[in-house]
Order: sequence, then C-alpha cells, then structure tokens
Amino acid sequence: MVQINHDRREIGIKVVYYGPALSGKTTNLVALHDRVSSEVRGRLLTVDTKDDRTLFFDILPIHFCSGSGFKVKIKLFTVPGQVIHASTRRLVLQGADAVAFIADAQRSATQANNEAWRNMIEDMRANGIDPQRTPTVIQFNKMDLPDVRSQEEIAAAAARGNEPVFQSIAIRGEGVVETLHGLLQLTFRHMQRQFGLANMLRIDEEGFLREIFRRVDLRGTSIRTVRGFDARKEEVR
Amino acid sequence: MTAMQEGNFLERRVPLGELLDLRSFREVCHSFAELYGVGIKVIDVSGTMLVDITRGSSEFCSYVYSTAEGARRCSAVIVQVKNQPLDDGPTVHIIPCFTGLRYLAVPLLYEGDVVGRAVFGPFVPLEMQDFPPELKEIRGLDLAHGRVLLSKIRRAQDSTIARVLEHFAGICEVLIFSSYQVYLTSKMHIESVRESYREVVAKAEKLEATLSRLRELDQLKSNFLATVSHELRTPLTSIIGYAEMLLEGLAGSLNSEQREYLRTIMDKGERLLQLITSILDLTRVESGRLRLEPQPVDLVEAVTTAVSSILPQARKKNISVDIDARPPVDKALVDPQRLQQCLVNLLSNAVKFTPAGGSVVVSVEEAPRVPHRAQGRFDGPESYFAIRVRDTGIGIPAEAIDRIFDSFYQVDGSATREYGGVGLGLAIVKSYVEAHGGEIYCESEVGKGTTFTMILPRVYVSPVRAEALLRTYAP
Repeated sequence: MVQINHDRREIGIKVVYYGPALSGKTTNLVALHDRVSSEVRGRLLTVDTKDDRTLFFDILPIHFCSGSGFKVKIKLFTVPGQVIHASTRRLVLQGADAVAFIADAQRSATQANNEAWRNMIEDMRANGIDPQRTPTVIQFNKMDLPDVRSQEEIAAAAARGNEPVFQSIAIRGEGVVETLHGLLQLTFRHMQRQFGLANMLRIDEEGFLREIFRRVDLRGTSIRTVRGFDARKEEVR
Repeated sequence: MTAMQEGNFLERRVPLGELLDLRSFREVCHSFAELYGVGIKVIDVSGTMLVDITRGSSEFCSYVYSTAEGARRCSAVIVQVKNQPLDDGPTVHIIPCFTGLRYLAVPLLYEGDVVGRAVFGPFVPLEMQDFPPELKEIRGLDLAHGRVLLSKIRRAQDSTIARVLEHFAGICEVLIFSSYQVYLTSKMHIESVRESYREVVAKAEKLEATLSRLRELDQLKSNFLATVSHELRTPLTSIIGYAEMLLEGLAGSLNSEQREYLRTIMDKGERLLQLITSILDLTRVESGRLRLEPQPVDLVEAVTTAVSSILPQARKKNISVDIDARPPVDKALVDPQRLQQCLVNLLSNAVKFTPAGGSVVVSVEEAPRVPHRAQGRFDGPESYFAIRVRDTGIGIPAEAIDRIFDSFYQVDGSATREYGGVGLGLAIVKSYVEAHGGEIYCESEVGKGTTFTMILPRVYVSPVRAEALLRTYAP
C-alpha cells in the first residue's frame, strides 16, 4: 500500500518493526537513529510509558531525494509488543509496505516469538495485507545473551521460510543496519516488480540503497561499501 | 475494516494551525517579539496567517498604507511575505519591502517537509540611510513625518535578526515535534479505543448468537422432556393398574410375600409417576404452557393437609411439625393442587434435612413485601400473603443459595451424598409460585436451620383474565 503522490512528487514507504514485547524493536530504531545522518532523518518520535516499555509506538522518518526529483520518505514504525495493545498493533501495521520481525533469540522466548509471529500474520490479514507478498525479514536479537539459539537452530528456523534472517545485538547497534539494508533491498525489488519503482525514481536498486546508506554510519557493519561509494571514507554526522 | 482504513492518521499531514496550540504558541511569539523588538509572523504552508505580531511598525505602515499607491505596494509585499517560494533547507531568506524596510523568512520543517514559515520584521536595515525612491515617489506622503514614525521601528543588522530567527525556528521545530507527538498519542488513544470497542461489539454479537442458540437448545430439551415424560407415564399407569388388580386378587389369591412384592411395585411405581408428573409440570412451566386453575382455598386447611402427608416421615425422625394457627389471612384464590404440591415439597425438604429431634414450623403470615413480578400495576403487600416453612435443619451454604432453585441441583451433588432426591422439588415450587405471580426466597444459616418464604397473591388472576378485565374496565 505504498503511498505515491505524483503532485507532490513523493513516495512514502512504511516499514513496521514487529515482534514480541521487549524483543528490541525500539532499540533497533534508537540504534538506527544514532547511525543515520541527521540530514536524512527526522527526530525519533517515541511515545513511551514510564516503565520504559513502548506503550504506543515509535516513528523514525528517513528521507532523500531521488535523481528524478522524487522525494522518498521511509517511515520506520515500531508496534507495542505487549499483548494488551493488540488494537494499537493492528492500527500501526495498517498500510505497511515492509516488515522487520524482531525476535528474541533467547530460547526462553521461543513461545513469545511464535505467538507474535502468528499475531502479525493475523493482523496483516485483518488489515488486508498479504503476508506472502509483503517484504519481510527476521532479526534474531540479543545474540549476546546466554542461552540463545545456536547457529544451527537459527539456520533451521531460517530454512522454514523465505524471509532473510539476520542476527543482532541491537543494544550495541550490531546487525541493525544490516537488517534495514536487507529489508529495503527486498522492498525495492518488490516495488520494482509491482509498479516499476526504478523508472519512477530513475534510480536502480544500488542507487536506491546508496542514497540511504551513504548517510549511515556503516562502521562495524558487514555492509563494508556501497558500490561506487566507500562508506568508511565518508565523514558521517 | 472500513473504519480501520480511516485510521491512516499516522500518514495524515496535519495543518500547522491544528497541530499547535495557537494560544500558547502566540504567547511564545509575543514574548519573543517583546524581547527582540521585532514583529513576528508565522504562516502555514497554505498561506494562512497563524501569528501576526507587529512591533513599532504599525504606525509607519498604516501611514504608508493610507495612500492608495502605498496600500497597493504594501499588499504586494505581504503577498510575497506569505507566498514567496523558500528553499527546503533551513536558509534564511530576505524579503525586501519597497519602503526600504526588510523581512527575514525561514521555512519551518517537519520530517523534511515544509509545513510553514516564520517571518521576522519589518525592521530597518542597519545600513539604510534614507527612504528609497520607490517610497519617495508616492504622492501624498509627508516624508518628514514618515521619518519620525520610522524611528520607532527597530534598526538592526540582517545577521542579528537572522540569528534570532534561526533560534526561533529551532524552537518552533521542537514545538511542532512535540505537538505532533501529542497529536499522535491522542489519536492513537482514540483509535485504540474505537478498535477495542469494535472488538467488544463483535464479541457481544457472538455471545448473543450463542445465547439464542442455547435458548433454542433449552426449548428442545423442554420439548424432549415433555414428550418423554408423557410416553413414560402411559405404560407406567398400566403397570401400577395391573399391580393393583393383582393385589386386589382379581387374578386369584396371593400369599403374603407376593402381596409384599406387589405393594413395593406399586409404591415405587407411584413415586416414579409423581416424579414424571413433576418433570412434566416443570417443562410446562418452562414452555409457558402451565395453566393454573385458581379456586378459593382455605389456607389453614391446605397447610394441615400438607402437614398430615409428611407426618409419618417426621414421626420416624422424631421431628415436631407445628402450624402457626392464627393466620391473618385465611382464604386465597390460588391453584389448590399446585399450592398443595408446594407445601408438600417444602415440608418434605424440611423434614429430610432436619436431624432427628428437630422442629418444623409452618405459618401463614402477611406478605413482607410485594414480589418482584407483581401481578398488578398498583399491588401493595396487602394483595399478598406469605407462607413460611422454618426448620432447624442443616442449613444451606451461602454460595449455594442462589442455585437451590435450579432443576436437578443438589447442594451435595456427590455420589456418596447423605440425602436422596433428584433436585426437582424446589425448582417445581419456584415455578408454581412464579406462575402465580409470586416469589419464593430462602434464608438460611448453616447448622441452624432454613426458612423458605413463599409470597403468593390473595387473588390470583390469570394473565388472560387480567387482560379481559382490563378490556372491560378500560375507558
């Protein structure tokens, strides 16, 4: 349900970070906020409760102008993971173009992960979003904690679906950029198939990702260089 | 789902005037204008003036505006102030006025979008020596007077005003951000509540559907019971009848053992028949098909008859059964058979649950109040009487009191329970009493005893009859 406004020459892409309570969705956004240059992002809008868990949601806007003068506005949302906020979750998920599912890698969280995943599929359907056709990535977060799933287990979980799987320690910012990079890559491809995003923006996949990630602090990430541009040489922020 | 689609408030662009609390925002602008001695305008992206504060310039501007040409040129400048395109970036733009005065403008941004502009001015540029020719050529202006008025306007360097303006724009950005946060929070609250409400409504509908399904099933159950009871009764009557004939020696003489057996068959058969009749009655009440046949009843007589029928059991357990002999009411128009059944059921319960040596007292009294389902519009307690059955029995635990009138309910429902019965007695009493437009309730203390109170009308009028009466007496 990508929003294209030809009059204003704008395209809005909604990315939703979904997952069980306390799996690190907001932490992902905070880490991204720290790494994305303020030229291309807005403030991180967090509506949070006193006990530091997300009551409602967070929004982090990222925007850039494409070669054809189209303004690309990517809004990253988190949903509240707590079970009681089902209605808020559904509302935030409305019109999502891409989803990052943030799972808690600890074994003890397996059931919560499964439940959240099922809820997500239900919520997507309730919103008229086809889960099969929505770009989705999975992130196993908190890999630094004891009793997390082994690499074999994560590989097995990954093999059960088509979604690319990433591992992260969001609190240290590790794996967070890779997750977004992977998701936006999928999203671009999906939109290219759907309505020829490349022609509209006069930008190819590489260019699209470069426009965003050249303004991201890529130090310490596996995204060493964005082709035609060496991230490590760029002074960021 | 349609309503949920409206929830796209997350993507909605909110006009600046709607987002900001304009009153407090204007206060902030006023204090700024006061502090720096310069006018402030805040204009939203559609050109609507949200804030328009002048400082020192109003007399001069009014004076220039008082000439036709001045007014024309002034209006043109204001149009520029409001609409001159600004770059998206946070650059300060200079908008000159034909009077030599100056405005500085900066776009207000939110998430990289221009949502409005802030304009400071007019102020006198530091380097301005005299009015420019564009002003001087306007006819009808006294320039000397103009200069006096001009002196009231702040004279400043562009860079000074620009610094303040940038600072101001920064504050605006924070205000816009927090206003947006508040907007989203309240919107989300509202939408969540709506969403939850929709869920509750959907659940209520489901429950409603389940309830009506259960009602149907209940009706089916009643029909089934009625049919089965009826089908059971017919052969049972024959069994009892033939047993009776055998006992009377119609098929030859019997020895005492055979008689004994036959008597048992008859006794048990009668009990079974009673039970089946009770079930039948109950289903009739449930389906609203029970027809009461009211007749004048002598209450003391009715109570005495009932007591005599349970006296044998009472004697076996050495329980005294007394009748309060001075009833304030002696006659009533009710269904005598049903009243009898109620009394017998209550009394046999009392005897059953009272330990040996206890006592049971039946009294006919004035009604303590009007039953909840009073028959008539203007009924008072005087239209009713009460029959109380008090015992010194084992009592009923408080948590079970609400359920004792349910069909087939037993306080002790376990297989090893001490007291027999199927749990229909009280259900039947309740349905008879209620069919009369009366009420039954129970007060009990575990270990001390129980009192059942039936409130019944002195004159029972069937609903059909009541309607007929109404028709007769209605004007």
